[in-house]
Amino acid sequence: MAEIVMAYSASHAPMMTADPGSAPREQADNFFGALEKVRDTAKEKGVQAIVMITGEHFTNFFLDGLPQIAVGLDDAHLGPPEVWLQVPKKMVPSDPGLAAHITAKLVEQGQQPALSYGMKLDHGFMTVYYWLDNTMDLPMVPIVLNCTTPPLMTVRQFHEFGRALGNAIRSYDGLERVALVAGGGLSHFVGEPRVGDIDEEFDTWLLDILAKGDLSDIIDIPNDELMEAGNGTGEIRSWIALAGAMNDAPGEVLSYVPVYEWINGMGVVLYKGDKEAAAV
Amino acid sequence: MTLYMVQRCLFDHLRRLEAAGDGPKPTIVTEGYDLTPEEVRAVSEPDIGAIYAMGTHPVIINGFCRALGYKRADYRTLLENSGVVPERKKTRWQK
Repeated sequence: MAEIVMAYSASHAPMMTADPGSAPREQADNFFGALEKVRDTAKEKGVQAIVMITGEHFTNFFLDGLPQIAVGLDDAHLGPPEVWLQVPKKMVPSDPGLAAHITAKLVEQGQQPALSYGMKLDHGFMTVYYWLDNTMDLPMVPIVLNCTTPPLMTVRQFHEFGRALGNAIRSYDGLERVALVAGGGLSHFVGEPRVGDIDEEFDTWLLDILAKGDLSDIIDIPNDELMEAGNGTGEIRSWIALAGAMNDAPGEVLSYVPVYEWINGMGVVLYKGDKEAAAV
Repeated sequence: MTLYMVQRCLFDHLRRLEAAGDGPKPTIVTEGYDLTPEEVRAVSEPDIGAIYAMGTHPVIINGFCRALGYKRADYRTLLENSGVVPERKKTRWQK
């Protein structure tokens, strides 16, 4: 059976690849240093494939048919559609066996993911993935979440989804070493009068929750309250799902920097793999 | 006529821009969408504040502004002048 050998959550501001030098040097070094540590850990663990969850940005779906969760089921997926992202276009390989298994096991556990062929991998995936493997050869099973268009699944529902996703990955017998990755957040505002603001107080509050592995303060937060930290901040649903998949183990906050030039609170939280966590 | 049609018009425009790649940028198409004269004006000028005030999804506004060449938060003033400023509420994480 597959082991989740590592998991991490990371912000996915487009500017981190489109114009990385626009951030203050110290902040960029802090954030990218954390992603380098993650990349080294993935190499050390011999990760064979990743499962990545991130917010949908009207890249794959629109208002005429917007699923709350969708799994990409192709052999490979094209990314990124944004020509300005400074990430080369490529058909990123997937592991269709793992994708099909995840979908089936999610349904068995009461989740209702949409099935998607032809999924495109926008900045939500490609910024973080490119930093993990700039050859873009590492297989990735993509999953998109509705994080911005109400009515939204609650934080608790995404936590339950994450638990089901973790169970699904661990019950797959086609691979041995899988990494789970969440992209999105932290606080940011887009397309509204507060665009450019960052709620540093929210970001540090959330990171403290994840570091403690105690989600009780956020698990039942109403969406309206969460939106006070930014209309893009709902993307932290992917971080919550990942925490659920890792059984609310304490995460290690590798980085937090509010990068106003990228209009985004930028953070990275790393989780131990299953065997390592069990040994603690 | 409906908010959906405004958003559909903008979404389709963004897809056409994406398809054009580095080639000539297509202008926005309003024919074929059931839009009022005010909606046609707002998306054609464009009037970002008016598009926002109609209730257009912020992710679409963000993509549209990026396509127009705005960077980072420099379209903020267009929205601050829209007359629609969300009320801020107390939250559990504020000290």
